[in-house]
Amino acid sequence: MRFGIFFEMSTPRPFSSETDHLVYHNSLEQARLADELGFDWVWCVEHHFLEEYSHSSAPEVTLAAVAAQTERIRVGHGAVVCVPEMNHPIRVAERAAVLDIISNGRLEFGTARSSTWTELGGFNVDPDDTKKTWDEFVRVLPRMWADGPVAHDGRCFSMPERNVLPKPIQKPHPPMWVTVTSPGTELDAADRGLGCLGVASTTYQEQERRTQEYHRRIRNCDPVSSVVNDQVTTLNFLYCHEDADVAAAGGMRMVGLFGLNNAHLLWTREAYPTRAYQSLGNLAPGGGADRSSPGDPRGIPEGIGVGDPDRLIRVIQRWEDIGVTGINFLLNASETIPQADVLASMRLFASEVMPKFMDKGAASTAAGAPC
Amino acid sequence: MLSGAASLDELAQAAPTMPSLDTGAVTLVQAEVLQASFEMAYASREITLPPGLHPTTPPLMVVLAWSMADSPWGSFAMAQTRVSCRSGVRPRGFVTGCVTTTEAAATALSERWGLPARVGRVSLVRRFDAVELSVGDSLALTGLDPDPLGAGDVQYTVTATLAHTPKGLRLVQVEPDYELRRVERVRPRLDRFDAGAWGSPDLTPRHPVTATIAVGDITVPALRFLSRPDVMAFEGTETV
Repeated sequence: MRFGIFFEMSTPRPFSSETDHLVYHNSLEQARLADELGFDWVWCVEHHFLEEYSHSSAPEVTLAAVAAQTERIRVGHGAVVCVPEMNHPIRVAERAAVLDIISNGRLEFGTARSSTWTELGGFNVDPDDTKKTWDEFVRVLPRMWADGPVAHDGRCFSMPERNVLPKPIQKPHPPMWVTVTSPGTELDAADRGLGCLGVASTTYQEQERRTQEYHRRIRNCDPVSSVVNDQVTTLNFLYCHEDADVAAAGGMRMVGLFGLNNAHLLWTREAYPTRAYQSLGNLAPGGGADRSSPGDPRGIPEGIGVGDPDRLIRVIQRWEDIGVTGINFLLNASETIPQADVLASMRLFASEVMPKFMDKGAASTAAGAPC
Repeated sequence: MLSGAASLDELAQAAPTMPSLDTGAVTLVQAEVLQASFEMAYASREITLPPGLHPTTPPLMVVLAWSMADSPWGSFAMAQTRVSCRSGVRPRGFVTGCVTTTEAAATALSERWGLPARVGRVSLVRRFDAVELSVGDSLALTGLDPDPLGAGDVQYTVTATLAHTPKGLRLVQVEPDYELRRVERVRPRLDRFDAGAWGSPDLTPRHPVTATIAVGDITVPALRFLSRPDVMAFEGTETV
């Protein structure tokens, strides 16, 4: 089992330069501590226009700072939105390669296609096309990284022969992942030999189903490059405290606030009917036809990493038994937990919980397994 | 977290009165259903909603129209404007205005489900390559270039409407169930819109998002939930 921290850059109102500065620099401090404590990854999302929920619009810049301020922890670009209106694939390949160089070969490369109308509409993206463009990106990026001059004649972009430079340190390229919110995307990941980067909390049962199906499918995959990244991670929250009641109070405040911010996003399917966005992530609102009581706060998903060390050991053991190979933790939401308490939670987790799982496959995957 | 900032006193003046909450259910068959959405200006985000609801970003105005050859109240057409929002964490559409073609339908929609229905001219016409909605002089909308979708690809957000109920001024949750047989996506064009006639001068439909035209049956069930319009749904929700 491997552990990571996961940055959304969730930011409280009222918005100001000072607030954004605080959120970003608190996150960088958390990344430095995670590096010292032995966490495996620090991931940073890409979102645009998502007030409160995520102000992380330039993760490649954030991760460059993380890479420069840390020694060992792997830096997760999680994930690059693979639609050309937001990110041209050549620029994606170039930025990722530079991040791999700056970090001395510590880059993990996540891919996504965005799921809110707020983002897609803001960039004038046709939601019908995002799955196609994502598929084209993940097939062409490994060639840009591994090959010399590359030409491409595709559906979302074309280019005459050019040598995309520089090339990443990791050979043939950094491990590639797909963010998974909707059921079924884990199959897209497996079919292409990509890691499954869970970014929505799931139940044990749902994660077990997804994980089993992923591992079954990836054995017969047609990978997008010469390496397969056979890993399944899930997203969780972390608030660890010696006093279980204190942990529950602070942790559930964070979970509830994150859930509210998440539910208030304008999801693509709600605004724009399309076959390309059939279902929403588990933390997303239940769709426009959700007829349940508005007074019922959405249930807290099981298996949450909130509690004293003994509870967290039991929770993580269960995730490990399901076949999950890594857990990435959100550490805060809208700064509801004071930074000193976040850092104390990380230290307690690292001293009391992580050692129980360290001797089980802690080796870095680096560039993944040969195909 | 943002919350609505409209004046409840002003909203209450336009709210209909429901003499009873015991509505029963009704099924409306072979309805033509048009839904069109438009992004509004950010300045419209909070001031078009009561404090108990939360806006989306960007704010979204939805035009919903029904036309049916028969119903318990005879043939009628109806159009309403809604603002997309959240009640607690649930997606809802807050109704700001509603026009229907007959007195009987207006009475039923306002007294049984709390819609602020008034009588007026509503015309929903389906053509080969377009659909046209007009509501008196206050709204004209065209949907162009129909493109087939699956029946499960479109969703209709549950309604929240403000009404004077036997329990007081409440947001009434209306949950129509749509059983669709044909759905097409069309490109919306708003040719005319008078915000003042639709319950709020702050409605600013600027950027067309999409529209659908569908045919199917609509079941409007009995009411189940009310919530206070002045506080968050977590503390203000009541069961009917």
